[in-house]
Amino acid sequence: MTDEKKINIVLAGQGNSGKSRVFNFLTGLHQHIGNWAGKTIEKAEGTLFYRDHTIDVLDLPGIYSLTTVSDEELISREYIIKQNPDWVINVVDSTNLERSLIFTLQLLELERPVIIALNMTDLAKRKGISVDARKLQTVLGVPVIPTVASRGSGLTKIIDRVIDLKNARPARKVHKYGKEIEQGIEKLTGLLKDVDLPYPLRWVAIKLLEKDGDITAMVSERKPEAVEIALRITEGLEEIHGHDSPLVIADERSLLASRITRETVKIARNRKLSLNERLDALSTHKVSGYLLMALILGGMFFMVFSFGNWFSGWLEPIFAGWHDWWKINAGTSFWPALGWSAVESVLALVQIAFPYILPFYILLYLLEDWGYIARISFLMDKLMHKMGIHGKACISFIIGLGCNVPGCLSCRIMESKRERFITAVLVTLVPCSAVSVIVFGLVGKYVGLLWALGLYVFATILIFIVGKISSRLMIGEPVELIMPMPDYKTPQVKTILLQTWEALKEFIYIAAPIVIISGVLIQAINLAGWMPAIASVMSPVTVNWLGLPAVTGILLIFGVLRKELILVMLAAYLGTTSFSEVLTSTQMITLAVVSMFYVPCVATISVLWKEYGWKKALLISLIETLFAILLAGLVKRLLDIFMA
Amino acid sequence: MHHGQGDDYSGNSLRLADLEDGQTGVIVSVLGGKMLTKRLADLGITSGKDVRVIRKTIFSGPVQVEVAGSKLVIGWGLASKIMVEVK
Repeated sequence: MTDEKKINIVLAGQGNSGKSRVFNFLTGLHQHIGNWAGKTIEKAEGTLFYRDHTIDVLDLPGIYSLTTVSDEELISREYIIKQNPDWVINVVDSTNLERSLIFTLQLLELERPVIIALNMTDLAKRKGISVDARKLQTVLGVPVIPTVASRGSGLTKIIDRVIDLKNARPARKVHKYGKEIEQGIEKLTGLLKDVDLPYPLRWVAIKLLEKDGDITAMVSERKPEAVEIALRITEGLEEIHGHDSPLVIADERSLLASRITRETVKIARNRKLSLNERLDALSTHKVSGYLLMALILGGMFFMVFSFGNWFSGWLEPIFAGWHDWWKINAGTSFWPALGWSAVESVLALVQIAFPYILPFYILLYLLEDWGYIARISFLMDKLMHKMGIHGKACISFIIGLGCNVPGCLSCRIMESKRERFITAVLVTLVPCSAVSVIVFGLVGKYVGLLWALGLYVFATILIFIVGKISSRLMIGEPVELIMPMPDYKTPQVKTILLQTWEALKEFIYIAAPIVIISGVLIQAINLAGWMPAIASVMSPVTVNWLGLPAVTGILLIFGVLRKELILVMLAAYLGTTSFSEVLTSTQMITLAVVSMFYVPCVATISVLWKEYGWKKALLISLIETLFAILLAGLVKRLLDIFMA
Repeated sequence: MHHGQGDDYSGNSLRLADLEDGQTGVIVSVLGGKMLTKRLADLGITSGKDVRVIRKTIFSGPVQVEVAGSKLVIGWGLASKIMVEVK
């Protein structure tokens, strides 16, 4: 294959415009999708083979501007300029055209070949918005192609265009600012003409007037007088307009975006409120919003529990039958017993964890795809402020309910370092689906649903208290919430099932091997007769303080790998899932409390390590372990008094 | 567009947070640091733009607004720094 047949394209655009959907369609990969801005936290790469061409596709995180304030913006900007992609595909949300154009105008200033994917045209139509793509193309001076990324429509057209226009790029159109700004730009480009810069001249001039730190520093190294003159021009602009010069430029860009929108968009008036708009009103209303939230989260809790119990109960006799068959045909001596523990571990994983985790992820992704999570952020913002963070943290919490690892990673949507860290610490306290397996499968099933619900309420209160304390400990200005509110979308069954499958794959490829090895190891320790020795080392904590059977010590150690192991290994070790035969109600609740709050699992610790350094990661783990043991011991003593 | 009177918010301008549900105003100025005004500008909140309050929530919680044809949620503290003139 020759070099000529290789093309690389970059997907750029604002948060929640559908870049990852475009990426998934083109590359056949599975970038996570959801209806909120900020999901893609790391760039993703994939390849497409089409019409004899190899096309490398890069998905960038959603950004709202190319003036460097956040890391994502800097990374994206550098990629678009330095990597010199053949094409930048600007994915634009056609239901939010005006806002999207503010970014598009900045992108065009970078003078890279751009194609605009006018996305979500189906939703725009439903909202009564019609965008004249042809006119937009004329006004912007770049190809505009209407798409519906969720169905893949229009996307091959873009790739066709990318290939066809490979050697014939349309002439660039310059979008002009007001007279004073243009005079300034002209003066600066004249000065910089003979300076060697890796960026387009006009763009550098605009950035100087916008007081961009990076660019100003770069120019002052090569041509200091240009910076001085830029300063004088900005002072002039500030005098005329009465505010900061970056703002003067932002205002003009913003007004230009309005003008282009007025020219190209028609909105049908007086249409009936759609179902989604009614739902939006209901779900963010000062009274019904909170009621609905309680109903949705409570309903989710109840559905996971009842489905899980039913499914788990249905599997139980089947697997018990298999065990009997094994005992009869393979015997009960050392090796068959060890072999069975490997099988039993997997069966226990399937029987205990899977029935709860499956509905959990389906419902979580349903809420995410629908667009409900942003509503929770809106409703909870005020409460979050009491913890020194803001409403967006709720997104991380909800993601953390599934798994703390993406929960911690999603903390990057928080604007400041301080808020990111506080949110991440709180996410490690959010009961993930593995912990929910213990809460539902042990406490819910054998002690009562209300007790399981109580544990969640308890966790919520605890998170609030810890948040309050950490916001006091970590001094800093709280950042205010600014968040685009996504429209509700009809959730797509296919998307939800695909994402659920992605989550469950991790279960098969990572959890299952760990479970088998741990199961065999524990059984080997047991059969070799070492269990009492190991258990006795831990017994001051497990037996004396927590009042649990000695074997739980070793389970809690294995639980660091994955928390559902605690219950799965208990079943494998006992050879039964009838936990009520070996644990009292108090013991079940105590075990659940320890499991909920003690050291985050290794995967979470490694994410904390990566994001915040090893010191903080280990400190969090240590503090949470000590705290969980202390707390669970106190809970046990309280229960002893009340349940006696 | 004339911004000359942009910072004169002593007259009949209000804080965005003071608008009632459904009311529309024109943004006169944004009182805040560089970072804040930039974040707002990226989302289309700049002087001269119309902004409509869709809904507020209880206890001085965030304000849901529509600006530049898009729906945004803005924290109360921030909505108190955006000065508007009622149309």
